[in-house]
Amino acid sequence: MVGAGAKKTTNGSPEVVKSGSGSSTMLKLKLKLKTKQQELLLRVSILCLVYVLAFITRLFSVLRYESMIHEFDPYFNYRTTLYLTEKGFYEFWNWFDSDSWYPLGRIIGGTLYPGLMVTAAIIYWLLRLLSFAVHIREVCVLTAPFFASNTTIVAYFFGKEIWDSGAGLVAAALIAICPGYISRSVAGSYDNEGVAIFALLFTFYLFVKAVNTGSLAWALASAFGYFYMVSAWGGYVFIINLIPLYVLVLLVTGRYSMRLYVAYNSMYVVGMLLAMQIRFVGFQHVQSGEHMAAMGVFFLMQVFYLLDWVKYLLSDTKLFQAFLRITVTTALAVGAIALGLGTASGYISPWTGRFYSLLDPTYAKDHIPIIASVSEHQPTAWSSFMFDFHILLFLFPAGLYFCFKRLSDATIFIVMYGLTSMYFAGVMVRLILVATPAVCLISAIAVSATIKNLTLVARAKNNNKVAHSGSLKGSTSSSKASSKASLDQSQPFQRNGAIALLLGAFYLLSKYATHCTWVTSEAYSSPSIVLAARGAHGNRVIFDDYREAYFWLRQNTPPDAKVMSWWDYGYQITAMGNRTVIVDNNTWNNTHIATVGRAMSSYEDEAYEIMRSLDVDYVLVVFGGVTGYSSDDINKFLWMVRIGGGVFPIIKEPDYLVNGEYRVDKGAAPKMLNCLMYKLSYYRFGELTTEYGKPPGYDRARGVEIGNKDIKLEYLEEAFTTSNWIVRIYKVKPPNNRW
Amino acid sequence: MRSKSESQTLSNSTSNAAAAAMDSASSADPIHHLLRLVAFNSFLLRPPKLRLKLPTLTLPSSMTVYALVLLTYFLVVSGFVYDVIVEPPGIGSVQDPATGSVRPVVFLQGRVNGQYIIEGLSSGFMFILGGLGIVLLDLGLDRNRARSVKVSYASAGISSVIIAYVMIIGILAINFLGNANLRKKILY
Repeated sequence: MVGAGAKKTTNGSPEVVKSGSGSSTMLKLKLKLKTKQQELLLRVSILCLVYVLAFITRLFSVLRYESMIHEFDPYFNYRTTLYLTEKGFYEFWNWFDSDSWYPLGRIIGGTLYPGLMVTAAIIYWLLRLLSFAVHIREVCVLTAPFFASNTTIVAYFFGKEIWDSGAGLVAAALIAICPGYISRSVAGSYDNEGVAIFALLFTFYLFVKAVNTGSLAWALASAFGYFYMVSAWGGYVFIINLIPLYVLVLLVTGRYSMRLYVAYNSMYVVGMLLAMQIRFVGFQHVQSGEHMAAMGVFFLMQVFYLLDWVKYLLSDTKLFQAFLRITVTTALAVGAIALGLGTASGYISPWTGRFYSLLDPTYAKDHIPIIASVSEHQPTAWSSFMFDFHILLFLFPAGLYFCFKRLSDATIFIVMYGLTSMYFAGVMVRLILVATPAVCLISAIAVSATIKNLTLVARAKNNNKVAHSGSLKGSTSSSKASSKASLDQSQPFQRNGAIALLLGAFYLLSKYATHCTWVTSEAYSSPSIVLAARGAHGNRVIFDDYREAYFWLRQNTPPDAKVMSWWDYGYQITAMGNRTVIVDNNTWNNTHIATVGRAMSSYEDEAYEIMRSLDVDYVLVVFGGVTGYSSDDINKFLWMVRIGGGVFPIIKEPDYLVNGEYRVDKGAAPKMLNCLMYKLSYYRFGELTTEYGKPPGYDRARGVEIGNKDIKLEYLEEAFTTSNWIVRIYKVKPPNNRW
Repeated sequence: MRSKSESQTLSNSTSNAAAAAMDSASSADPIHHLLRLVAFNSFLLRPPKLRLKLPTLTLPSSMTVYALVLLTYFLVVSGFVYDVIVEPPGIGSVQDPATGSVRPVVFLQGRVNGQYIIEGLSSGFMFILGGLGIVLLDLGLDRNRARSVKVSYASAGISSVIIAYVMIIGILAINFLGNANLRKKILY
């Protein structure tokens, strides 16, 4: 063994240990890797497992139902990606779509964020190049899980940058299964956020690396990362406000350095120029109020640089103090005047409603009902936080403590990212997604630091001689810990205590993993277009009514037919039904939506006038009274009234309520019982018995018997009702011949 | 204060060069010339004498900032914004159908994203308790303190974490998982 001991540390290749007897030489083939190589193997294998885990945990709905696109917005993205792969980039970039928002049309090339579509198309073309004959739909369905796996890798490097590689590994593992991220990146959810979170984290990582190293290459890489983010999602405004805020905090705490100067300036200038290449963003970086913070900090950095240079040149401190005071006041005055002039003249547009409602959450409720009506835009209750984060909510304050204990440029960044994103997550449920990487990273720091402390105690050597052993890497506390732990009777107690706590920590983390998988399986893997319920005998019943209705539309209506429905279903109708719609989920024209809302809430004859003026051929409503489906148009009806009433004062919400209460039974308001939406939803429903023991016309979603059972339609006729009555399509009759 | 020390050493080592640069007109930089005219001229550079004294602002210590941050986190996670906008009641009430008396209900039933004010605040408090427990545990493992202090910190930390975790999991299990089978999966 002496010979083997001498050879052990020279190289890491497998070697045969020579022992006394020759016959057992072959059996003693040992792989003697150095500790560094062992660590590398461990890290790489953990990252590979995490990568695979992040992908497969998002595949629940593909395995349960089929590989299809979920929800509403992804259908638009799928349709545009299809167009891109069929017609090419030039046609896509200059596309004017006359199939939606009839008769206005929509300039698709100029009003979308192309990052997601271009990414999916590139993956599709790459696979085609390698002779994999995939359909673009499969690529679209699996894009989000693929990018989620890439996000875990970026999270590893980011964690390594902020704290150390252990924290990086924990961060990658946490973010792979965190429900807050899974909810928007499950397979089939082909939406901007799936790619955007990867771009967000990637940009932040590159920027922090640039600030830490001061290298121009990293700064330019972060500018390109920012460009990718701008092309992918409207939430890039978060980056362009967080990074200047971070720079400001660094300046205030006296951490100005040449590295920061190089990093921020290169990133801002090149990033801004690249961002202007996206037509949808245009010149907003110099014209919009939301982007002015970045410009202000840019000029502030120049002032700091000037002051630093003058200080270096001057040897007289009193003169420099005077110069400092004058320069700072002048700079602030000039900045304030410029901002004032820009805002007053209207060149700098004020904050748009979407982002202003993040700063002042009560704004949307009073002024913009269409923003307030989206269910994802509601403020967050604690149960949603718990659902999406589980034990990370405990680890987040602890991680913040560790960051504050060891302040550096990188930890200040992650603290700021965490706090701002948690605030926004509190304002809007949808933004929990943006907070997830920060929460995972900070929690990873807490986990890593705590476990490191505990393992130090657990591995402390008993004897005093090994005070300075280098066996515990990377911590100066190792020697001190082992020298302090010299009391023999407390040694085993401390070690046992530490081991018990380690087991407790692993138990908590395993509960986290269980919770995440359960949440993913039960809550976040439903395609929304296909509904599932438990039948009477516990078997699963699937309602595929939406796709049935859209397919009927596609096959049984003339190709130039125009369909009027509430804006929720617009994207799906154009993508699957291939028919022109009046309004869709883009919601860019509030008056047009209000017109549709007015039509839905008026009496049939007034509604017929509006429908004739819009050339409507078919009307589509969603009705949940037979199945008990609660997201139907009758439950959304009050929003139609509010939005319609916001533009046409003739529609008044109190007309449809009884004593402030919304009812559909006998005691409902007369206007409610005779409006178009009521008639279209409950036509022939009064004859149907939905539940055993209840009278005919019992609405299972509202739990009441409807008030007006004898409905006669004068200007419309029923065209199609799906098998579970969820989607109902009506044909608008042409006007009578007057003779 | 890295930047300040950098510039100090720079200025100390190259002050001769700086003086030389100042004196000679060999610099081709127009801004340098402008600065020499405007800034280095002590005659021109006299700020107005103001009566008011601006208060000197010192940056708070990092632990003060941490305490403020914890307070903000507590408010956000308790659903404070939800309380301000939706204005739910402090605590819910349900009427007992048999006796007719009104019973308080702490947790909102039937909706996913909803809460009463008190349930939000108490859950937020549990999260802070758990987080502080881990912090106390780290303080308890710190090497520079007396042993009794370390032990008390560590035990307080561990008990806080356990209490907070058990409370939150208990709340989840009882109130949000209607299904009995699921309850068994989540509890312990």
